[in-house]
Amino acid sequence: VRCQHYPPLRALQASAVLRRVSDEHKKEPFTSSSQQHFDSPPAGHQPEQEPQGPRPSYTGQGGQESEDYESEEQLQHRILTAALEFVPEHGWTAEAIAEGAKTLGLSVAAAGMFHSDGSELILHFVSECNAKLSELLEKEQKQVQLGEAEKKPIDAFLRDAVEARLRMLIPYIEKWPQALSVLLLPRNIPSSLNLLTSMIDDIMHYAGDQSTDFNWYTRRAVLTGIYNTTELVMMQDSSPDFEDTWRFLENRVADAMTMSNTASQVQSTGEAVVQGLMGAAVTVSSAETGRAVRA
Amino acid sequence: RALLARPAGALRALRALAAGPEMHFGFQTVTEEERREKIYQVFESVAKKYDVMNDSMTLGIHRVWKDILVHKMNPSPGTLLLDVAGGTGDIAFRFINYVRSIRERQLQRKLKHHQNLSWQEIFESYQKDKFNSLGDSQVVVCDINREMLKVGKQKAQHLGYTEGLSWVLGNAEELPFDDDMFDVYTIAFGIRNVTRIDLALQEAYRVLKPGGRFLCLEFSHVSNPLLSRLYDLYSFQVIPVLGEVIAGDWKSYQYLVESIRRFPPQEELKAMIEDAGFFKVDYENLNFGIVAIHSGFKL
Repeated sequence: VRCQHYPPLRALQASAVLRRVSDEHKKEPFTSSSQQHFDSPPAGHQPEQEPQGPRPSYTGQGGQESEDYESEEQLQHRILTAALEFVPEHGWTAEAIAEGAKTLGLSVAAAGMFHSDGSELILHFVSECNAKLSELLEKEQKQVQLGEAEKKPIDAFLRDAVEARLRMLIPYIEKWPQALSVLLLPRNIPSSLNLLTSMIDDIMHYAGDQSTDFNWYTRRAVLTGIYNTTELVMMQDSSPDFEDTWRFLENRVADAMTMSNTASQVQSTGEAVVQGLMGAAVTVSSAETGRAVRA
Repeated sequence: RALLARPAGALRALRALAAGPEMHFGFQTVTEEERREKIYQVFESVAKKYDVMNDSMTLGIHRVWKDILVHKMNPSPGTLLLDVAGGTGDIAFRFINYVRSIRERQLQRKLKHHQNLSWQEIFESYQKDKFNSLGDSQVVVCDINREMLKVGKQKAQHLGYTEGLSWVLGNAEELPFDDDMFDVYTIAFGIRNVTRIDLALQEAYRVLKPGGRFLCLEFSHVSNPLLSRLYDLYSFQVIPVLGEVIAGDWKSYQYLVESIRRFPPQEELKAMIEDAGFFKVDYENLNFGIVAIHSGFKL
């Protein structure tokens, strides 16, 4: 028979455990799509996953808290948001996260919750920017619907949307190349690709794209190309207020418009040529038969 | 005669109750008090040969394990570390080296940003930062065993570690520190020897700052059956022999090997850490489970 001492702390902890158990079934609603992208060691709902990589690492269910308390994910979001202001000084690193944690009153060791290369910080930032862009586009759309603003032509719309999104990078522009390289790490590619494609999809959706054929893919692919190239140009642009970048963007969007016009022109020209040939063939064959009959 | 026997039996029962419940000491069953005493004696006798034995038993791999632990910790300058059961100071020294190199890199980077300073100012900044090569980081080495601490202090002197170290005698189940003090709490190959693991975990929770990290490096269970057989063979046939040959102490190393087998496996320890109130608890197996690093945060 083991006698267990029950110090007063136990009672509190027992209730904490109970709270955790009862809340295991209560799923936290994913408020933003950002959460599902980069919480790849899920602190949330899945049971133990199979080992990944050379050294298996198992993330446990830290326990969902009731609505009064913050969940781990929310706390992580807060730390990452706080860390963003230290990025211009420390770069996208664990140091920036540590400084961010310090401002929230937590120990610097809390940065150990994240990867040491700052991946989560960057992904968090990207998804925040995407969310801001969505809000912006939503607001504009409402204004158009209410008749307060004119509906923009498609090329101006795309141009403004991409410019608005890229302007969010300006405070961090010095360290952004580092961020891009981290986003291209094999480990991060699924998440970063996901974020990119959903952002492009958002823009096209608000641009009014209702295509249901293969155009859906070509349009998004073209816009992705425009966005990526403009981002790269912006990295080494030193003109005042990035004028060169916006001019580059304008040209690319114009090219895309021309290209789509040309494509449809080529198609109709091709059709016209084929019809002409068919007509010529019919004429020739009827002339032949006519000659045969006369002769 | 029955009347006489009963009080004697009752007395024995009372004494057993006072000494504490039944516990394991390796594969033996002892009371709590006896266990503490026996473990103290084990480490008293092995203290001088502790490092040599570690190297020979694990073929030097324990150094890699400890390096991995400190890399996982990734401490930034200004971190306050509590290394419990840290006797001979292995983790503490690695921590200091790590923090020192990070600090150097930080200073270099700062200097690069200030390339417009005159050489006078640069020289003066060296003087200022010379006394801050650790960036205010500190490590407190706490151990229950005086002998182990003595060996640790001697090693520190010998290796030239002068600043940032403190040596405190204390019991992991009842730490002599105030609440919310430390950034990181580590216990490397020590929690196995703690008699009441739950108390030690609660103490760890108590002395950590909010946001602080708990790290535990410990022998754990190998699930791979083939490797498990080889490991058992090595543990029970080779290690006690090494103990006798190198340290002249068979029984202590027999205890070591048995205590590893009796220690809770990864999942169970993880549950115990969660019970103490830590969040984001996970573990990383090293060498297929021979050793595992458990990590948790006080959030």
